[in-house]
Amino acid sequence: MKVNLDELRPLLLKVEKPSRYTGGEFGAPDLKESAFNFCMCFPDLYEVGMSNLGIKIVAESILKRGFTADFCFTPYKDFGAGLKERGVPLYSLGLKKPLAEFDMLGFSLQFELCYTNVLYMLDLAGIPLLRSERAGKNYPLIAVGGPCAVNPEPLADFVDIVFIGDGERVDADVAESFVKHGGATQEFYNEISKMDGVYCPALTEVVYEGGKIKEFRGITRVKKALISDLDGAVFPDRFAVPNCESVHDRAVIEVMRGCYRGCRFCQAGFIYRPVRPRDADTLTKQACSLIKNSGYDEVSLNSLSTGDYPELRTLIKKLKESLPEGVKLALPSLRVDSFDSDFAQDARRVSLTFAPEAGSQRLRDVINKDVTEEEILRAAESAFDLGYSAVKLYFMMGLPTETDEDLTEINRICAYIKGAYRKKPRKKQLRISVSCSTFIPKPFTPFQWEAQATEQEIEKKQKVLKDTLRVKGVNLSWSDNFTARLEAVLARGDRRLSKVLLLAYKNGCIFDGWDKELNKEGWQKAFESANTDMREYTRERGESEILPWDFIDVGVTKKFLLSERGKAYSGKVTGSCIESCKGCGLQKNCAAAKGKEK
Amino acid sequence: MIAFKYTKTDGAEYLSHLDLLRHIDRTLKRAGIKVKTSEGFNPHPKIFMNSPLGLGIKSIAEYCAVDCFFSGDFKEAFNANSPCGVKCLDFKEVSNNPNYAYAIKSCQYSAEGLTSFDPNAILNKSNIAATDGRGREIDLRERICGLEFADGKLYFTLLCGEKNLRPDFFCEYLEGLFGGKAQNVIKLQAFGENVF
Repeated sequence: MKVNLDELRPLLLKVEKPSRYTGGEFGAPDLKESAFNFCMCFPDLYEVGMSNLGIKIVAESILKRGFTADFCFTPYKDFGAGLKERGVPLYSLGLKKPLAEFDMLGFSLQFELCYTNVLYMLDLAGIPLLRSERAGKNYPLIAVGGPCAVNPEPLADFVDIVFIGDGERVDADVAESFVKHGGATQEFYNEISKMDGVYCPALTEVVYEGGKIKEFRGITRVKKALISDLDGAVFPDRFAVPNCESVHDRAVIEVMRGCYRGCRFCQAGFIYRPVRPRDADTLTKQACSLIKNSGYDEVSLNSLSTGDYPELRTLIKKLKESLPEGVKLALPSLRVDSFDSDFAQDARRVSLTFAPEAGSQRLRDVINKDVTEEEILRAAESAFDLGYSAVKLYFMMGLPTETDEDLTEINRICAYIKGAYRKKPRKKQLRISVSCSTFIPKPFTPFQWEAQATEQEIEKKQKVLKDTLRVKGVNLSWSDNFTARLEAVLARGDRRLSKVLLLAYKNGCIFDGWDKELNKEGWQKAFESANTDMREYTRERGESEILPWDFIDVGVTKKFLLSERGKAYSGKVTGSCIESCKGCGLQKNCAAAKGKEK
Repeated sequence: MIAFKYTKTDGAEYLSHLDLLRHIDRTLKRAGIKVKTSEGFNPHPKIFMNSPLGLGIKSIAEYCAVDCFFSGDFKEAFNANSPCGVKCLDFKEVSNNPNYAYAIKSCQYSAEGLTSFDPNAILNKSNIAATDGRGREIDLRERICGLEFADGKLYFTLLCGEKNLRPDFFCEYLEGLFGGKAQNVIKLQAFGENVF
């Protein structure tokens, strides 16, 4: 079956941005059905998903193996309701094929607040949400992957397969196994559950005692999939150019995966270890083919900390020599200590973002954010000299050991930055915005055991910040309290939360990550009906407690995380992996640990 | 300068005017066709399109002019690099900007699905008062240039530019009067200087 766009015309004319739902992008592969039809699903809008690099890499790895990989994004409410009303199932963009007719749907989980959108998409596709309701029937396999998959437990009742780690390493192998066994047979599950990076929630049983996890039964260890050489890894040489402007409408290359720094709150900094840089020549080639095939005039050099890329200067030189004239380079995620006028010049932006994360040096040491005030000021000054006139500062509140003094220091940083701006006469007025989000403890970080500050504590902290931030003209914003709590609950949740998720979805909760869409009452009712207390999930976890994600092995040892936690409480900085190996557990796979970094 | 005629069909009818401009710019870049840019503080490519087509209306008669250096087969180069439904039909060298947004005075459309009626019932009226999408009082009649039924389709020509009348708005008016439901509304041709 194929969904006919002409029949959807009255609906398309009624909705916002209909080109989200029509496909036909330049650069989208000319798809045909094959022995394995996969649809890459993204639980957010088209313009958000089209900017995501991960899903393009996964789709490419499936296509390269001779299979089919289509795309689908969450429709906004207007289109979703229209589809339901007309009885038209959610369809893929390329083949216009109903999702229910695919062999596998793979959802990319970029953050916890997209979980209800996964259920929304399944529902719009006419696919039963619970795995138990699909058992023995001819529905596609429901898979998830991406950063949140390192603790997929809240979704355990809904999904068949979880891809953990580097998806492109293993997903096509799973596809091949599916074809070999003629579907999702017992033999298929036996085979794929032995692969690194594949977790099947049905094959692991969780036993609780007194509300806490007593033990795991069945498959009790799942190792993440790991690509050691990114230069040889799959990477698309062309992107589908989105029909309507996407949030990051430019070509993207991934200069490296992983981060040398190990900031203790940062999940990405641990789960993407070890650091694997791509070669400057590989990257230059990739950037040139993307620009040629997309028509973009900007290339973004993505990674968790691009300033730490060992060959950044060489890479920038090579890119400038090889890319067509007029193509700009964008370097997001530059750390203040790596901010260098050489790098910033290309961007020609007005606003610069720094993330000191904590106001005081003491607290920055606690979180292992190895950045000093002098470095921030030096970076800001060189940016001002280049013509930047706006600074965005990212902080967190509710960090372990945080006191009111730590928060009042934010005012000092702002005052210093203002002082640096006033050192010389400048044309424009300086704009500073301070964004202070609530700290959320995440699995596989040294802070995975920490309690999240309560709503009352956060409100008190917000008041302290507001009262002490006296520098004029500073625009202060913070995250919504309930949203932060919900994210914290789902991030460290167990499979008992599947019930809450289902209830929340039935109460109409979707697009939870959007301030204006968050349905707080719907969630509160869901927790109530499921007789589940959010505090059970935001509380401090005992160090000897079995954590819901303990059966997953991302390579970083628990011993290392514990020692990092200890160092946090004594205010000791660990420093970058480039200086010396810290023994996180991935030494065998780490080029930096072997001293092979250029 | 190259002037070209192109389509907006097969899903491309849902592209907004601004998105379409971006796609034409990128298509030309991918094709290796160097477009001159305006001078000044914020240079932009010299691409000049005809007036925006209403969202969702298909067309096989869109016009655009680009200030560029290119000697090869423009149509072939463009079509190899353009998104689905945005395809060049014809092109020609022009020495000056034809300024299609002003040059095109009226356009002919076709629609299926409307109940048949005598076109003179409309054409013989001297005035048809209506309120347009923005709430303004307008006279529809002066904006209707032609109207006829052939092979089960309604062919109609409406003014463009200052006294523009949207074909879907006009069809809705006809539906209200005579019944039926307009389907497959397509812009067939444009009238004015330098169209081809």
